Amino acid sequence: MSIEPMRIFFKEIKEPIKTTMIGNYAVAGGVTQTDPDVICAFPITPQTQSVEGLSDVVNQGRLKAAFVNVESELAAISYSTAACAAGARTFTATASQGYLLMTEALPMAVGWRIPLTMMISARAFNSPNLSIWNSWEYTQVNSELGWNIIVSENVQETYDAAILSVMISEDTLFPTIFVHDGFIISHSVQNLTLIPDETVRRMTPKKPRHVIDPSKPGTWGGIVTPDYFMEGRANLDEAKKPVLTQMKNAMAQFKSETGREYNLIETYNVVNSSKTCFVTMGSMSGNIISWMTKNKDVGLIKIRAFRPFPYEELRKIVEENGIEKLIILEKSDSLNGLLPPFSMTIASALYPLKTIFRSFIVGLGGRDVTRDEFDIAKMKMATVNDMKGPLYIYLGVRETKEKIHGVNL
Amino acid sequence: MITPEQLKEVLKESVINLRFHARGGQGGVTASNLCVEAFYGYGVCQPKFGAERMGSPTESYVRLSANIDLVRNNEQVYAPHVVAVLDPSLLGEIDVVAGLAPGGWLIVNTVLDQISLQTIVKRKDINIATIDALNIAMEVLGRNITNTIILGAVIRVMPIFTMEALADAIMSRFKGSIAAKNVEAIKRAHEETCIFETPKAPEINFSVDTKVPWQQVSLGLPGYKEIDAAGVWYCDEDIIEYGSSQVNTGSWGEWDIIWDEEKCTDCTLCWYICPDFAIIREKGEDGLWHMKGIDQFHCKSCQNCLEVCPVSAISKKLKQGPAACAVPEE
Repeated sequence: MSIEPMRIFFKEIKEPIKTTMIGNYAVAGGVTQTDPDVICAFPITPQTQSVEGLSDVVNQGRLKAAFVNVESELAAISYSTAACAAGARTFTATASQGYLLMTEALPMAVGWRIPLTMMISARAFNSPNLSIWNSWEYTQVNSELGWNIIVSENVQETYDAAILSVMISEDTLFPTIFVHDGFIISHSVQNLTLIPDETVRRMTPKKPRHVIDPSKPGTWGGIVTPDYFMEGRANLDEAKKPVLTQMKNAMAQFKSETGREYNLIETYNVVNSSKTCFVTMGSMSGNIISWMTKNKDVGLIKIRAFRPFPYEELRKIVEENGIEKLIILEKSDSLNGLLPPFSMTIASALYPLKTIFRSFIVGLGGRDVTRDEFDIAKMKMATVNDMKGPLYIYLGVRETKEKIHGVNL
Repeated sequence: MITPEQLKEVLKESVINLRFHARGGQGGVTASNLCVEAFYGYGVCQPKFGAERMGSPTESYVRLSANIDLVRNNEQVYAPHVVAVLDPSLLGEIDVVAGLAPGGWLIVNTVLDQISLQTIVKRKDINIATIDALNIAMEVLGRNITNTIILGAVIRVMPIFTMEALADAIMSRFKGSIAAKNVEAIKRAHEETCIFETPKAPEINFSVDTKVPWQQVSLGLPGYKEIDAAGVWYCDEDIIEYGSSQVNTGSWGEWDIIWDEEKCTDCTLCWYICPDFAIIREKGEDGLWHMKGIDQFHCKSCQNCLEVCPVSAISKKLKQGPAACAVPEE
C-alpha cells in the first residue's frame, strides 16, 4: 500500500503536529496514544476504519495491545467489559444496529463501574429502510443506562474526545461513549493538531482501581432479592453526581496541556437581537456557525456532554443571557407524538424557566442539512410566541413529489 | 485568469469549492485529500458518502478558506468553482458540470478539444482546461494513475496553493521514488495543460453561493404522503426509481460479457452464480427456463459466469471507448 493512513502514529509523536485526517483514523490515532491494553470491536459502517487503523498500529508493533476479533457486537461489548474489569484499558467501537445488539451487556459496565471507552459513528437504525448514513441513534436508545456520552463536532474534537474519554472514564469510573456523526465526520478529511505522546501519557496515567483479581476471588453481579437491589441503584446514582464536575476538571486539564478549550456546553453569540438561539449537537453545529457569519441575529448553544446532562449549566446560560426562544435541531425522532429524544432532554432541563421552543427534526438517514433548514427554522420561530400546538416538525422532508413539508417554494 | 494574490484576498472571507469525478480505484479522494494538505488555510475534503466500488463513478469534494468558521460547514458541496474529471469515460455517464458556478473551470483528463467538450457538457458560461494525464502517467509513472497529475492542471487555472506546497504534501504522503515521480508528473501537467477561456464567461463571484434552495431534498421522488407501505417493495410494482436497480453497474467493469446462444445448453448455472441478476432468463412454453442474454446495464464483468459455464458459451471482450452501457453483440 503506497498510502498508510496511520503512518504518523507508527513512531513517537514528540511535538504537536498539524496534519489532515478522516475522523475515524484520527480516533484510531488518539486511542493509540492512550496506550490501550485491549481493543475489541466488530466492524460496522461507518465505524470500521477506527478499528482498522488500530489493527495497523498493533500489527506494525508500535502499540502493544491485544487486538481481539469477535463474532458480533454483543461479543465485543461482553469481551471488552470483562477485559476492562480485569484491569485492562479497553477500547471498543460501534454504530447503529451494532449498538442495539450490544444492548444486553451495556448496563453491566455501568453497574460494575468499568472505565471502558467506546466510539460511536452515529448512523440510522434500519427502520423502515436500511440506511448506512447519519442519524442520532444514540439519543434514541441506551442513553439512560448510565454511560457518559460526549458528542463531537469535527475531526479535531473527535480526536481529542478519544483521549478525553479515557480521562473521564478513569476519573469517574463510569464507561464513556464518544460520538461523531457517521460519514460527515468519520469519512471527512479535516485539519487537526496531534498532541505529543508524552502529553497524552501525562493526561492518562494508569491508576490503580478495583479489578478482578484471581488471588481475591469473588462474585460480580450475583442475584439479589428485592431487599437489596434498590440500594445498588441508588449507590450508582450517588456516584454519578460528581461526574459533570469530574468531566469539567478533565476538560480543564486538557486545556492546560493542549491549549484547546472544551466545555460541557459551548455557546456562540448567545446575546443577540432576536433573543433566539439554536440548540444542537455534533457536526450540525459547524454548519450553523458558518451560516451565522451572515446571520448575526441568532445564537447557538452546542451541547457537548449529552449524558449526564448539564441541566444547571443550560439553565444558567438561558437565564443569564436573556434567551427567550430556542430552536432545537436534532437528527432523531421518536414517534411518540410529544417530542423527539434530544428535545425531550432540553425541555425537561428548562421546565422551570418556561422558555419557548420548537423542535425541528432534520437530516435523518444522511440527508444533508443546509442553510435552507436554518433559514426556515429561524423564520418559523419568529412568529412563535407560546407553547401551544404541536412542538415538533420534520424539516426538509418531501410531503408529495412537488412539495416540501412546511415550506412554500 | 485569477492571480494567486487575488485568490488569496478572496479566500480571506470566502470559500472555494472543488469537485473531483473519478472511478473507484483511480484515487479521486486522494487528489482531494492532497488539496486540503497543500492548502495554507483550513480545508475539508468529503467523499460522496456511500458504498464505493472498484470502477464505479465516485465524487469527492473540497472546501477551502482562510476563515475557519466558513470551513466548519459540513454541508456537501453543491456549487463547485472547479470540477476535475479524472476519467473521460465519465463524461457520457455523469453530468459533470452540475452546479458548477458561472465562470468556473471544468478540467478534464482527455485528448478531446474544447469544442467537443462544450458540446458534451452544454455550458457556455464556464471555462475549460484539458490535460492528457494518461500520457504523462504512462511516461513518468509507468502506470495509469492520474489523480495527482490532474492537480497540476487545477493549480494552473486556479492557483489555490503553490507547486512547492503541493510537492511537500505529496512528499509527506507517498514514499521515496513514487513521491518524486509524482511531483515530476505534476510539474509536467502544469506546463502541458491546454486552457480554453470562454470569451463571454463571467468572472466567478465567490461571495455568492449558487446552490439551488432545497436541492438536497430531491423533489420528484415520492413524498411521505405518497408511500403506501414504508420500507416494503413488491416485485410486481413499477420500477423502484430510488432502488439499486437504477444504478448502472454495467459501466464499472472493463469487459463486455458475450453470450453464445448456439453453444448454450440452458443449464442456467450462470444465473445462479451471478451476484447481480444480470443474466436474463425466461420460462418457455415447455415450463423450463431458457437463457435470453446478458443485462449489460447491470453486468459489472466479474466473470463468475465465465468460470462456471460448462460449455464455454460465455466469453469476454475488452470494452471500447466510453465504458458506459455497451450494447450486447448480435
